[in-house]
Parts: sequence; structure tokens; C-alpha cells
Amino acid sequence: MTIRARLTLWFATVLVAAMLAMALLSYYELVVEPRAQASAHPAPDAKEDPDEDGAGDVVDILAWCGLPALALGLGGGWWLMRRTLAPITALTRAAERINEHNLGERLPRSGNGDELDRLTEVFNAMTARLHDSFGRIREFTLHASHELKTPLTVMHGELETALQNGSLAPAQRNRLESELDEVQRLTRIVDGLTLLTRADAGQIALARDPVQLDELLREALADAQSLARPANIQVTLAPCDQVTVTGDRHRLRQLLLNLTDNAIKYNHRDGTVTLGLVRAGDSAQITIANTGPGIAPEMVPRLFDPFFRADSSHSQAVEGCGLGLTIARWIATAHGGTIQIRSSPGNVTTAVVTLPGVGDRKP
Amino acid sequence: MRVLVVEDERKTAAFIRKALQTEGFAVDVCPNGEEAWAAARATPFDAMVLDIMLPGRDGLSLLRQLRQNQNSTPVLLLSARGEVNERVEGLNAGADDYLPKPFVIAELVARVRALGRRGAESRATILRVGNLTLDTITRQAQRAGSPIDLTVREYRLLEFLMRSPGRICGRMAILEKVWDYHFDPGSNLVDVNIMRLREKIDADYEPKLLHTVRGIGYLIKAPA
Repeated sequence: MTIRARLTLWFATVLVAAMLAMALLSYYELVVEPRAQASAHPAPDAKEDPDEDGAGDVVDILAWCGLPALALGLGGGWWLMRRTLAPITALTRAAERINEHNLGERLPRSGNGDELDRLTEVFNAMTARLHDSFGRIREFTLHASHELKTPLTVMHGELETALQNGSLAPAQRNRLESELDEVQRLTRIVDGLTLLTRADAGQIALARDPVQLDELLREALADAQSLARPANIQVTLAPCDQVTVTGDRHRLRQLLLNLTDNAIKYNHRDGTVTLGLVRAGDSAQITIANTGPGIAPEMVPRLFDPFFRADSSHSQAVEGCGLGLTIARWIATAHGGTIQIRSSPGNVTTAVVTLPGVGDRKP
Repeated sequence: MRVLVVEDERKTAAFIRKALQTEGFAVDVCPNGEEAWAAARATPFDAMVLDIMLPGRDGLSLLRQLRQNQNSTPVLLLSARGEVNERVEGLNAGADDYLPKPFVIAELVARVRALGRRGAESRATILRVGNLTLDTITRQAQRAGSPIDLTVREYRLLEFLMRSPGRICGRMAILEKVWDYHFDPGSNLVDVNIMRLREKIDADYEPKLLHTVRGIGYLIKAPA
């Protein structure tokens, strides 16, 4: 039972009790007392039926004063409760809604200085502190990735300069080249983290152009086929509707490449990858299915976490910076869409991207 | 060719200078925007390598000021942030090219060279390296007289490599010119396409023309 209902019930009980007390009192004053007086000093003119008359008066008083008072009391109480408790309702909604992206929002204060106003103030101060901390972490990551670029640039440059020396022994050359590979891997991780941090802070503006998804998918098919050739994986195009969405062409290409690349990397040799695109009302649905080993259901929600690998034994064999799916999810959500992976061990794994805002293409 | 390098990080400036000098360019280095502004006004440079993050006045504001003063020296911007937005911002401010840090030196050198010969790019329609020819009008490739079938990507990749024979083409430049990716898509697209191209143009022939420079890029050249 809510506080509001409890308090209203309490009001009602008190009012009803007061009314009953009033009725008893009136009955005593109007009926019992006059009758007692009448029997003590019988007045010749008081011959009418005092019993009937007195009781009728009590009922009248109750009907004309008691019931309106009861209604007024209940209605007013209900309204007052609502007003008083509104800040609590607002706080509850705000607490439900709050996440790291809207910590900057402030709840409006009543300003009347009561307990609830004070609570709102404290709540606002708390979210402000959280907002600051999140901001500082973001800032820190951005600064860190920026600061990392400088030594990476120097290391890359010096290794490359060293490799230009034609008199290097093969073993030395090999070592320098392997170091160069690692510097590049580190660079990809730093780049990915920078991108995700900036995206998180809402600092990346996406283009809003009409993009022909079917054309993009055909392009992705060609790239996927070249990526799949070494492992003899067949990449095919299932039904492909003509669909145009509003979005950022470069980012959508990156999304398709990340997903097809994953579908190939985590596939069996001689497996297949199937791309599809269908229009469903206002949205476009891209599917990328692969015949990999499948993923345990409890792992699926974590696939989009940075650096998460479903199969730890795979981590050495499959290269990549570990941020591909996280970036793919950002691209899908930044377009107002969603991304899902459907999989279970031994079954086909399908990535489904839904993008809204399908426009009609001019013929 | 005389190049002005504006870079505050001492070691980075040192290897850029060394690489450009090896290429036969005269190189001046300025560690901040003010000195660079003075140098650019005093000397006509053929190209400028400009870091965006500089102490004091930053690279972009220097670039805008140069362009406002009718200075049209070709500028290659360097940035440690490396985002698509920043690249667009740089090009809008009047830069001719943009390279994110950390970069491959060979890539930087190739870009500076391209800035210097802007407008004078080879217009040849038949490209030739050893006995490999590429007709850029019919899009037909031939090795030792036998025609080779290429996909669209493979054709563009081969054309890009053959436009600068004997020079290293960095992965970044290849991604930009052949795939129109202005960021690292985190995939080995370039490598698999080179592998396939190699099967087509080199596998059955001697001498081999397509070479890998590990960690840096690829080049096509005929043995001297």
C-alpha cells in the first residue's frame, strides 16, 4: 500500500469517527436531553413527537454538513498528499531513468525548504558528483590515449628508421619487425579506445546522408569474399532488398566490415557466411550469419564488452584489437538502431542489425 | 625541394627530418607556431609538415592564418587524435593532406613528395613495371603478354602501386586510395588482397615484382 493510500485511509477513518462522535453528541443534545426535560417539566405545547423530530434533525445535520465535510476532507487530503509526494515520485522516476549519459540532468526543486525539497537538493548534488567523476574518467582516458600516441609515434619512427639500415642481420631485422608489429597493435587498441571514449562523451558527429544499404552490402560482400578466401569460406548474399537509410556512410561500412570480419575469423575452415538485407516497415534489417562453432547463451550478452573473447583458447589464434564488436554496437546505436547476436553452440551464429529511418528511394 | 617541419616533440621532429633529408629534401624544423609563422613568412617553402598540437598557438590556427595571408604552401597536417572529424576540419582549414599519429615514415615521405609535385601527377595511361603492364583506359593487366583478370579492388590496388613504382606504399595510403577508408578498419583487407594480387601477377612468373615491407607496406618494382 502506498503512503498516499495509507494516509488517505487514515484521514477517512478520523473523519468518519469525528462524524460518528458528532452524530452521537447531536442525538444526545437534540433527542435525549429535551426528552428528559420534557418528562421532568411536562410542557403543554411540547406535544409533538420529539423522538421522530430529533432523530430527523441528526440525519439532516449528517447529510448536509457531515458528508460534504467528509468528501472535502478526503478530496483535499488526496490532493494535498499528491502535491506533497510529487517530489518523491519525481525522484523515483529520475532514479529509474538515470544512467551515465544523463547524469547532467537536474530535478526541479520546489524551493519551499521542506524535507522533500532538501531531499531533491541532496539527490541533485549526488548526481552532480557522479557526473563529475564520469567526466573525469572520460577526460582521463582521452588524455591517456593522446599521451600514449606521442611515445608510440617515436617508437614507430625509430624502429622504422632502424629497419632501413641495410646491414642488419636477419635475426635483428626479425626482432625489430616483430616489435613494429606490437607497436601497431598497441596503436590499434589506443585508437579504438579513443574512438569509444569520444563516442561515449558524445563528441563524434555522424553524417546524416542518404545511404544505399544494398550497395554497401554488395561492397562488403566483395571485401568479405577476399577476406574469406584464405580459409576457403564461402560468402554469399541472401535476399537483398533495395533500402536507403539516413546515416554515416563511412561508419556503416565500418560496421559491416567489423561484422563480416568477425563472421570469417570465428568460422570453421570451409564454412559459409551469409549476408542478408530486408526491409521491415520503417527499418532495415541486416543479417550476417556464419557457421562458426556457436557461442554459449550466457556468453552472448558479453560479446559486445570491450576485449571480451568468448573462447579464451581462441584469443591467440585470432588477431584483432578486441574492440570490433563494441565499435559495431556503438555505430548501430548511434544510428538509432540495435544490434543482436543469436547463437548457441553447434548452431549458426547470426548478427542482426536493425537500422531505423528507411526512406523511399527516388526511382 | 625545401620543407618546413613544425613539430614540438624533439625525437619525432628528429626522425622526420632525417627521413626527409634522406629523400633529398632540404628540411627546416620549428618547435612552435610562432617560429613557424615567422619562418613561413620569411622563406617560400615547397611543402610544410604541421603538427596540430603545438605549445602556444596550435597548428590549425597557424594554418588558417597562412591561408588568410594568401600563403598557399601545401600543408600536411599531423595529429595525435586521428579522427575523421578532425581530418575534415583540417582539410576545411586549408590543409592538403592529413596523417594521424603514429604514422609510417615511408607514408609521410610519400605524402610530402606528392605535395611537392601537386598537379604534376603522371598522366600515363599505360603503366609498366618490368614485363607487367596496366592499361588504365581498358583496365587490362598483362604479364609477359598474357592477360590477367582482376577484380575492381585488385585493379585499383595494382594501379595505385604502379603509379609509384619502386616506392613503398603504406597500408594507410592504400586503405585511403583503394578503399576510401580514412581510419584503420582493423582488418587485414589490404594483406589478403595483396596476397591474391600476388597469386595473379607473380606466382607463375619470374622475377617477382610485388614486395612486402613488413609492418610498413608494399611496393612494386622490377629488379634493376
